[in-house]
Amino acid sequence: MNIDNTASQMRKGVLEFCILSVIKQGEAYPSDIIDKMKAANLNILEGTLYPLLTRLKNAEFLTYRWVESNSGPPRKYFSLTEKGAEFYKELEATWFELANAVKALTDAEQEHFNNNNFNDPQ
Amino acid sequence: MKQVININFQGRVVPIEVSAFDILKQYTESLNRHFANEEGKDEIINDIESRIGELFQERLTNGATCITEDDVNAVIKSMGRPEEFEDVEENAGTAPKTGPATASQEYSSAQSGHKRLYRDENNKVLGGVCAGVANYFGIDALVVRLIFIFSGIGFFAYILLWAFVPSSAQTVIGSKRKKLYRDSDDKIIAGVGSGLGNYFGINPWIPRVLFALPFLSFVFRWNHWGAFSFPEFVKFGFSPGALILYIILWLVIPEAFTTAEKLEMKGAKVDIDSIKNSVVEEMKGVQQRAQKFGKEASATVADKTKAFTSEAGNVARRGSRSLGDVIVFLLRLFAYFVIGCVGLVLVVGLFFLGFGAVGLFPLKDFLITDGWENAFAWGTLLFFIAVPIIGIITWIIRRLAKTKANRKMIRLSFGSLWVVGWICAIMLVSSLFNDFRYTNKNLVEQDIVLANPGVKKLELSSVSRLEKYTRSSWFRVEPFLGLEDDTAYIRNVEVRIVKATNDSFRVTTIKMASGRTKTQADNLANMIQFGGVQKDTLLQLDKGIAINKTDKFRNQYVILTVYVPVGKHIKIDRSIGWFDRIHFGINDRGDWDFDSDDEAHGWSADIEYEMRADGRLYSLDGRLAGTPRHTRVRVTSNDDDNYRYDSTNPMHKVDSMRQKVEKEQQHIKDSLEKQKEKIDKQLEKLGDTGDGGDDSQSINGARFPVYGPMVTVY
Repeated sequence: MNIDNTASQMRKGVLEFCILSVIKQGEAYPSDIIDKMKAANLNILEGTLYPLLTRLKNAEFLTYRWVESNSGPPRKYFSLTEKGAEFYKELEATWFELANAVKALTDAEQEHFNNNNFNDPQ
Repeated sequence: MKQVININFQGRVVPIEVSAFDILKQYTESLNRHFANEEGKDEIINDIESRIGELFQERLTNGATCITEDDVNAVIKSMGRPEEFEDVEENAGTAPKTGPATASQEYSSAQSGHKRLYRDENNKVLGGVCAGVANYFGIDALVVRLIFIFSGIGFFAYILLWAFVPSSAQTVIGSKRKKLYRDSDDKIIAGVGSGLGNYFGINPWIPRVLFALPFLSFVFRWNHWGAFSFPEFVKFGFSPGALILYIILWLVIPEAFTTAEKLEMKGAKVDIDSIKNSVVEEMKGVQQRAQKFGKEASATVADKTKAFTSEAGNVARRGSRSLGDVIVFLLRLFAYFVIGCVGLVLVVGLFFLGFGAVGLFPLKDFLITDGWENAFAWGTLLFFIAVPIIGIITWIIRRLAKTKANRKMIRLSFGSLWVVGWICAIMLVSSLFNDFRYTNKNLVEQDIVLANPGVKKLELSSVSRLEKYTRSSWFRVEPFLGLEDDTAYIRNVEVRIVKATNDSFRVTTIKMASGRTKTQADNLANMIQFGGVQKDTLLQLDKGIAINKTDKFRNQYVILTVYVPVGKHIKIDRSIGWFDRIHFGINDRGDWDFDSDDEAHGWSADIEYEMRADGRLYSLDGRLAGTPRHTRVRVTSNDDDNYRYDSTNPMHKVDSMRQKVEKEQQHIKDSLEKQKEKIDKQLEKLGDTGDGGDDSQSINGARFPVYGPMVTVY
């Protein structure tokens, strides 16, 4: 049991939720998703992203259309299906539930956390 | 300066450096392996590749002339290596698979409860066998190590386990994985030594010295080459063995070409491993790696695997259906078995031929003329014998390792070298054949002068009485009696005993030799020096026919005729020869071969005989000579010397095995009866009768050496 493992396990659980939330905001190209997540300080490798997208697509939560690109091969633009939107809602509910629980449990720590890290530039 | 090639990547032509292309190829291969069990594998990889293609295109439109190594590395960094991917799959919660293996004890038990034996490379001393066994049984590795060290079989068991137990590194992602490569960066001959050093994590000079050591001893032992007794045989057999081993390793171990291979060679972490290396994937990986060195197109492996699986499927389906296919299968199995056996016999035969040839090589100067014939002899040894040995072993190992590189070239070079070997062998044999073509015709009976021909008894020996017991036992190559710097002694001496016309002993010699021409044969026969000196009753003859390196061995042969007066005694020491003569070539001397009924040869060595008026020899107890004593010796004595003596006894004494067996039985009977008589006599003296002769006989036999003065006891 080490910190890296636990941290990565935590991240893994929310990755799908984050990706779906980016796509929900509008049709997205994978590197857009990466950029947006990076902007939110959540680094993800493209090699991790592509399999996830494919899996979500195969589960019929996502759909895509081909868009011609002038800088290489045609691109896949992903968007949420109806089923995907429902799935997202469920995940969202779960997430806030969890976030609240974690917040309540770690409230004592929270202050400390805020003092130290929250003011760091992102 | 770097070579640039154009590749078709995702439908676009991309100029790329060769080295960059290799990295890219390895990366896509690692992706392939990583996603092998994924449902949408092709789609994922396609997506990733098209993204890579896009990034490449970006670089090119920004003004780059081609994709460099740095570009590829940057792309790979942004895409991430397979082991860096975060698997958000169902199995995400099980083992900490993405992290380096912390302890394989944890690992082996974490594997879905199913325990398997792995070698623990993380806690290894030598090969990780003991640590792996300790993990398996949940005990301290030190205990296992001590057991391995102090039990006799430990070493072999260790080697076996090392070879057969898979390493934990093969299944744990990101951990070390060593492969055996030749290190061309640090080489002296071919990098075998340094490669082995890398693999075992030792100084490359250790394997180098180990390879060289037998050669050093080989040089020091040069003078003892005639020694053919077993331990020495093994020792000097090992020196060409080291050379052969080196050459085989050279051919079998691939050279580390790419950076990844060099890292693998040193056991450094290489990022193309992945957790999804199941056994099938492992096989695939081996094929891919083999292919990397090979020149075959990348498609063939896939085709082959496909073809193989479909074929295998067909066989399985058909096999269950018709009996005919089962029979065909069994026949094929049988054929493979036969081929395997023949191959094995071939290899073993060649090995023995090789060792024999190497062992006899010091004698070659006495047989082979300098110049071409000598060159042919060397060519035969190297190309005719050594090449197929190396070739077959290499082939077997390459088959096992599934190496495919340069198959054609290796086959071709081995084939042509062996053809050279055949030519040498044929030339050598035909040349030797010519050397023995003619036999001398000037047969003259020459007397050996006897100082006192009137003695009552004559004993023929080639060594003095004292020498008989100190005679060196190291020499084993019969019938060469001894080997000095430039002289070899052969025992091509045939002894005939006939009745003398007067009452004094007479000993004569007839000398014979072969040669390339009749004159040469005559000359060689004349040059034979074979004489003797009489001391009382002992006629000490030369210890053999001396052959020097100039005149060579050309079937020099001496027929020694002893004329024994009636009523006098004769005894021939075994050291004279008589039994083991060597003979090359064409002239069949079958009419001189030993027939035990022949009055001239119906006697045995080391027994005293009396010549009687009928021209026959009788042993002292009155039995007619002609029963070869050595068969009796085998029954009554387990003296090592006699055993060997018996085994060298030429088969041509008897026509068939049946006769031989009958005769032997007769002799056994005779000897037993004789023993019994003797014992009965002794017992009579004591005023008692009884049997039990069998026991005393064997005691008797064991006590007394067969040669020497004691032998007259019989």
